[in-house]
Amino acid sequence: MRSYFTLFRHASALALTFLLLGLARGEDELKNPFAGDPAAAIEGKRLFLKMGCYACHGHEAEGAVGPDLTDDEWIYKPTDSMIFNTIAKGRRGTVMAPFGDQLTPDEIWRIVEFLRDKNRQRHLKQQ
Amino acid sequence: MKVRIARDLFRGASGVLLALPFALAAHQGFAQGVTDDMLLNAHKESDNWRMVGRDYMSTRFSPLNQVSTKTVKRLVPKWTFSFGVLDAQNTTPLIHNGVMYVTASHGRTFAVNARTGSMIWQYNHPLPEDAGKNMCCDIGNRGAALYGDKVFVSTPDAHVVALDMKTGKPVWDVTLSDYKNAYSMTVAPLVAKGKVIVGLSGAEYPTRLFIEALDANTGQQVWRRYTIPAPGEPGSETWGSDPDNLKFGGASAWITGSYDPALNTLYWATGNPNPDWDGVGREGDNLYSNSTLALDPDTGAIKFHFQYTPHDVWDFDGVNEHILADLGGQKVWLHGDRNGFLYSIDRTNGKFVYGKAISKVNWATGFTPEGRPIVNPEKVPSYTYEAKDICPASEGGKWWNPMSYSPAKQMVFVPSREICTDIKSAKGDRVEGKPHWGIGSIKWNKGHGQLVAFDAKSGNKKWTVDAPSPFMSGVLTTGGGLVFAGTPEGEFKAYDQDTGKELWSYQTGSGIVGSPVTYFIDGKQYVAVPSGFGGWTGWATIGGGGAPQLKDSRKGGYVTVFGLFDE
Repeated sequence: MRSYFTLFRHASALALTFLLLGLARGEDELKNPFAGDPAAAIEGKRLFLKMGCYACHGHEAEGAVGPDLTDDEWIYKPTDSMIFNTIAKGRRGTVMAPFGDQLTPDEIWRIVEFLRDKNRQRHLKQQ
Repeated sequence: MKVRIARDLFRGASGVLLALPFALAAHQGFAQGVTDDMLLNAHKESDNWRMVGRDYMSTRFSPLNQVSTKTVKRLVPKWTFSFGVLDAQNTTPLIHNGVMYVTASHGRTFAVNARTGSMIWQYNHPLPEDAGKNMCCDIGNRGAALYGDKVFVSTPDAHVVALDMKTGKPVWDVTLSDYKNAYSMTVAPLVAKGKVIVGLSGAEYPTRLFIEALDANTGQQVWRRYTIPAPGEPGSETWGSDPDNLKFGGASAWITGSYDPALNTLYWATGNPNPDWDGVGREGDNLYSNSTLALDPDTGAIKFHFQYTPHDVWDFDGVNEHILADLGGQKVWLHGDRNGFLYSIDRTNGKFVYGKAISKVNWATGFTPEGRPIVNPEKVPSYTYEAKDICPASEGGKWWNPMSYSPAKQMVFVPSREICTDIKSAKGDRVEGKPHWGIGSIKWNKGHGQLVAFDAKSGNKKWTVDAPSPFMSGVLTTGGGLVFAGTPEGEFKAYDQDTGKELWSYQTGSGIVGSPVTYFIDGKQYVAVPSGFGGWTGWATIGGGGAPQLKDSRKGGYVTVFGLFDE
């Protein structure tokens, strides 16, 4: 009996550890399903222009009223989740409004891929 | 027990008596509201700054001279007030009887003790969380208006709100249009003849914009003047054959007008037609875009107009302010336009007096005798032609930041820039609530800034001060012989009016994109300036940019007040 109880205790501790690790990784949990997809980047640019993002961020996302979205400077860690959530929910206290009511998740991911691709191109030019 | 009660009563009474002067001091500004007489005679007194242009002529000139060319080196900061928000601080603070009324970004308005900087009240307009989505140029505000016992502000979601001057509580709140379709406001209202007058923003979107007058007591509409005629009205024939152009042609009105009580005329200017850079499909002059409308303030009827840039394809918003001046016996308005010219126009009839280049201008080669620009076809972009090196760029030889006029010297001081642009147009989709610019490609070419002084009567330049970046602040001139202006790098500077020599500078910590004012309390002159970089800044960085050094400029949100150092 004592050995089963000990086993149960160890199993519970292990389960709790995995749960906490999972919660800690919540910020990174969302991953772009279109990562590295050139067709998605092209469609993402079309959506970027269609939604009027260029009015604040410039036609090539290089920045205007809003910040440059092609460089490595971000206020928060530029995870896929962070960028997705910023487009979907906006950013409180700033001019960045939510677009989640006008774009499907897949459309938002394509815009994320457009921005990632712009950043890759920027790095290639600098090499 | 009786002794204790008596002692306690004495202590209580003493406390009240000690507190009373402070309470009275804090509220003395509220003892008397702002009257018609005060507004009509604003130019004759010097203690206060009761409307954004200081007076109905929009001179932004104060007779105060305690801070002068001789004493300005002793100017030091006295207090700073933080708005608690970032983004564009485009405001002009107002001062009435010792209280500063100042607006900030994100729908904030404050009443502040103008001597000490302590806050009296704060109003946060309850903005919808997507309010900034359809604003082209940031979520700033250009200032309040004062009348009676109320403070009037416009909001990003197209409201006009009247606040109780003592408490900051809303008295009335009127919605003028639908912000979701990009109708918004940043304008500082003007109060004249008991009416609160505002103009709408949104010409980068398919909109039909307007100027509106509201009863100051009730908020009831008195009149609305659309800036684009309705079908069949005079001017409607200047928008090509597509009837939708009259519904969605833009022509915003986001800069405060001026008022001549003797002529009973309100002068209010309008902005670009939509789409900004694509003239295909809207053939004609596109009235009344890029025009000054001389309006009857009682009815909003158009008495006459003057159009600065007909059939605009460069985004030369004609909205800028009017300085009303009497020069050599002629009543004129002075207007520094986005198209690069300083105009003098007869304000009794709208006749052209002169148009003088503020900056390099090559999109026009001159004027007809009536003041119509003669367009240079090499600088007209199209779907197939990229026009190169168009000067000035869209933000103009003078952007929206107000100039100032010294009546004593008959000189006007213009915040300016030398930046040119390459543009190719393209057909865009016209969708309500979405930007509609008509841009194929655009790049701004590296340039610089300048502060330019003109003789107002002749339009001749007197001096020019160059700067690395465009002057993005308004200008203040004073009876002390000074010109104050701020830079996007955050420097607040004082220059000699006669020579342009820089006499003083102070680094405020964030770009200055609002306007300075000056006032007088208890024997001391104060100079106040808001700081907080923001606004439309694409011109600085897109395609290389006109001022790439301004990329990622640090934001801020506060007002700094200066006074002379006391020995």
